[in-house]
Amino acid sequence: MIQKFHQRLPVIKIILFLVGYLWMVAIPLPELGRTTYIDENALQPAQVSTYWNWGDVHTADKYLEDLEKLRDRNATSREYVQSTTVPHTLAYTFDRRADYIKNEFQRAGLSAATQKYSFSVGNTDLTGANAYAVSSSPRASGNEAMVIAASWIRRHDEGEEELNLRGISTVLALAKFLKGYSLWAKDIVFVVGDGYLDGMQAWLSAYHGATQSKELPHSSGVIWNALAIDYACHSFSHLGVFHEGVNGRLPNQDLINSFERISRYTGGVPVVLYDHVQDHVSLPWIPKFIRTNPTFQKYATNAKNVLRHVGYQAPGTPSGIHGLFHQYRIDAFTMYAVCAHGPHGFHALGKVIESTLRTMNNLLERLHASFFFYILTDAVHFNKIGSYLPSAILISIALMFHGLDTWVAAGWTVEEDESPSSDEKPDEKPSEAKTPKWTRRQRPVLPVLSIMAATHLLGTVLFLLLSSNYTLASYQTTSYILFTALAVIPLGAALLRTEQQPHNAPLSTVLKALNLCFASTIISILSVLNFSLALTLSITLGVPLVASSASPTTKWPIKGIQYSLYILLAAGWLLFLPEQTKSVLWNWEVLSVWFAPVVCVVYVPLVLQAAIVNLL
Amino acid sequence: MKLAHLWGFIVLFNTSCLCRAQLSEYFNERLSIKPLKDGKIASTLTFTTVLKNGTPRDPGLLHTEDESQHYRLFPLALGQILREYGVTEMHLTLNAGKWNYDSWGQPAEAGVGNGAELWAWIGDGALARNALAGLFCSSLGSLDELRTTSPVEVFRPEGSLPSSSLHQLRHASHPSESVCTENLTPFIKLLPCKSSAGLASLLNPHKLFDANWHGMGVHVLWHEGEGVEVRLTFQTVSDPLRSSFIRKQDWSLESLFGRKVEKACRAAGSSHIQVALPRNTPYNISPQPTVAENDEALYDIQAVNKPINVAMQYMQEFQRQDLPSSATLSIQRTLKESSQSHGQLSVILRNHQPNPVQAIYLETMPWIVQFYLHTLTATVNDIPQPSVFSNLSYIPAIPHSRPTTFHVLLSIPANSTLRLTMDVTKAFLRYTEHPPDAQRGWDLPPAIIYPLDQPRMYTPTLLVDLATPDFSMPYNVIIFTCTLVAFIFGSIFNLLTRKFVVVSVALKGRD
Repeated sequence: MIQKFHQRLPVIKIILFLVGYLWMVAIPLPELGRTTYIDENALQPAQVSTYWNWGDVHTADKYLEDLEKLRDRNATSREYVQSTTVPHTLAYTFDRRADYIKNEFQRAGLSAATQKYSFSVGNTDLTGANAYAVSSSPRASGNEAMVIAASWIRRHDEGEEELNLRGISTVLALAKFLKGYSLWAKDIVFVVGDGYLDGMQAWLSAYHGATQSKELPHSSGVIWNALAIDYACHSFSHLGVFHEGVNGRLPNQDLINSFERISRYTGGVPVVLYDHVQDHVSLPWIPKFIRTNPTFQKYATNAKNVLRHVGYQAPGTPSGIHGLFHQYRIDAFTMYAVCAHGPHGFHALGKVIESTLRTMNNLLERLHASFFFYILTDAVHFNKIGSYLPSAILISIALMFHGLDTWVAAGWTVEEDESPSSDEKPDEKPSEAKTPKWTRRQRPVLPVLSIMAATHLLGTVLFLLLSSNYTLASYQTTSYILFTALAVIPLGAALLRTEQQPHNAPLSTVLKALNLCFASTIISILSVLNFSLALTLSITLGVPLVASSASPTTKWPIKGIQYSLYILLAAGWLLFLPEQTKSVLWNWEVLSVWFAPVVCVVYVPLVLQAAIVNLL
Repeated sequence: MKLAHLWGFIVLFNTSCLCRAQLSEYFNERLSIKPLKDGKIASTLTFTTVLKNGTPRDPGLLHTEDESQHYRLFPLALGQILREYGVTEMHLTLNAGKWNYDSWGQPAEAGVGNGAELWAWIGDGALARNALAGLFCSSLGSLDELRTTSPVEVFRPEGSLPSSSLHQLRHASHPSESVCTENLTPFIKLLPCKSSAGLASLLNPHKLFDANWHGMGVHVLWHEGEGVEVRLTFQTVSDPLRSSFIRKQDWSLESLFGRKVEKACRAAGSSHIQVALPRNTPYNISPQPTVAENDEALYDIQAVNKPINVAMQYMQEFQRQDLPSSATLSIQRTLKESSQSHGQLSVILRNHQPNPVQAIYLETMPWIVQFYLHTLTATVNDIPQPSVFSNLSYIPAIPHSRPTTFHVLLSIPANSTLRLTMDVTKAFLRYTEHPPDAQRGWDLPPAIIYPLDQPRMYTPTLLVDLATPDFSMPYNVIIFTCTLVAFIFGSIFNLLTRKFVVVSVALKGRD
């Protein structure tokens, strides 16, 4: 049985790879997914009458006027100050805006305060001031809280920074409005964060005591849910959902599903995933008869969503300020107003938020029930864990099989000896005239493990150097130096290259075997922590690691080309993706996103090992 | 035979007459209303019944038959429990909400911790918690050994204790107990006029349970030479400015309680409404108070025209301002939960006084959160200062059986902020120990700060997340299985016990 399996292993490996990669491509297929549903009975979405009305819209409009005046007077609380040139105190003279928001909260009868913060990344200081208020709900013990948050700068991936003035006006008007009802069972906390991600990160870490910064003067209980409001343009046609958090954590799907239903039934606003209206994907390079096929259109729109999801989740970048809440086990998402010429505004948004809060207020327990593993293909369809996880796992299994195969092969050698021996002949075939004699040989595990440890050490050093202040300040030159170092140092492994001995397996084969097994383990572990990262790794590591050639007989020029290709795969991002690298490092410094260390300490060494396999 | 019965009856009658002659009872009621600085209105209803010359039962004699008791005004249902368990002093409070000391100052009744709190000075016996739970329809039965402590320094007897026998303190609190109408109805039943007359008619559940904070209390005390006193209290904090369209702090009995006082309670010896008058703002109070002096208006319900609806009208809109705290200390207590197994308890005490304050800090923590006492640190204005502690006493918890009792005397310097931190470890529970709503977390009782010579103060309660399995799947399976078993049992039982008889109706018709 095992023998048969071993004989068919090459076919099995190929099938595993093919099915794995095809499965990845198939994830956006509507047939793999199913429609969303509400799992938690207590939520009861869209079952309440809302009280938010035109009077409250007027309040929000007045707040908006004030905020626009403040903006025009350039009352900024955010300053990027070179700490070397300007003393710290100057940065704090511009917190009029946070004070305005705090005063408005207090006038509404809430306990409010401001919080000043500062992050230092490289040699730049990032400072700002948040404002927040706690509304103690009547008769509530103050043990549980819900958060409504807005950041000063609107959600953006890169490029233009837009101010989230309408979002902040909504929060202020809601603070005044929600306090008037005695039906809240949990405290409501209103937070207006400065900047984009930095302000909210500072507030959250102070609230949870993660940093030794000053204690917030007003506190409430454990935060269960949070809504981030993002509304910048005059009016909107759809409400978008952003849900990916730091390190790829996702909020409980019930929260998003409830919001989708509430928005549809209570607010009358259609919901889309992310900020693009998903009716049509234009792909001019595809023949028209395929392009216009409705099934293909559905696939293409879903695929776009899945790709965006992987794009946020794999690097662990939060897709909005909501993502920061996930670090503290708070289910949160961003309600994103998709800009359009009408028809919706404060009225619809307020109603939707009020009703969503009522739904969150119904919760007797935290959202749970394992509803955290999913891929949304659009706002009302999702793939559950069983329908996407196998893709990466199959690749990981294929890698493991190949690694074990290589490991077994390294332990045996064929000798052209005629003398028959009864032992150690797993593949003996009596029908053949010349029986190859299989003999055991030593596998040099210790040197290989030392090589692997050395590469990981190199990765750690790379990470420490990259995240140092000096590198962040002068990235241009440092990146070239680091790349050169990464390209040259592994060459030292060639010194270990010894003459092929008959009783010892070649270093390269053993290294390849262990390298593959290790990569496989990493991918399967990551697949339940951050599926998109596992998916990306199974693409970038899968075929390249299998393809690394462990034959010592290859000619040197070919070896050189192979080696340089692997080095490019391992560290090319240092040269070709400087902006992305910087933002990933910023994410690590400020938000503690694990992507930078994972790339440096896990991914780079794995590919370097494959490069060394070629070299030896 | 008959004669003997008759004699017995006469003797019994005589003795009861004798008792009544000895024990006179009186009942007083009072409502005090006070505007708070953040625009809210605090009102306290107090109903006091005194059993003159009554004495508590000696806890040492619980096994012998009790002497008979006869009450006119004193609540019989409560009296029986007190005698049965030999309770000398007892305080039961059921509150909902977080008392905001900074804006509301000291409450009229000190016990304002969220949820249920019961403390009693009794003999060596068990706490009458199950009897009280039955009387007040609340889950006091859960105040078991897992929650019972004896912090005598903070809960000193408010009345007197008989010197003849030894008394012990039992204290327990249940922070997640919710309080509502089902607790108010038995409360009203203890009053001589129920809710049909007098101030008790203001106990309207629709309004009381819509307040921002409400709490009821039952206090039993014994004053030597005076008698046994039962004090029933109901405190509320209402917000006349709740709707953002209302600008004035106006209130009236109708707006606070939804009712007027229609008639006086004849059983009441005195029946007063006491209103604290605002100082710096013009107002109009109607009707004319019986007495008005020292910023206080007093209405004698028995004397004034009824129905009476005391109403306060302000001339100016209410101005919200950031006033300094009106409490001696501002307290902030948080639990930073860094992981599933560890956390840090932090208590911040701000002293607003120009003089140092000495206060006892008391934690009575269930065993699920255990302290690492060696990590206890104190900073005063961010400077480490271990000298603030004295008289530290610590009874560590025993898993699955005894709670922690930790108290320490703190000296807080004038105008400064004291910050205490202590690392805690969170227990890993057996799966049967999880509550049905396991994902909510566990409520921890409030800590008590007891500034010497002042009423004690309660911190807000906390919620702790312990490592919890996702019960949803097993629970579904259990529920499904139980339903199936019940269904099968029901049908089989039905089949087994029912008698099937053929009734020949058709034949009869043909005949």
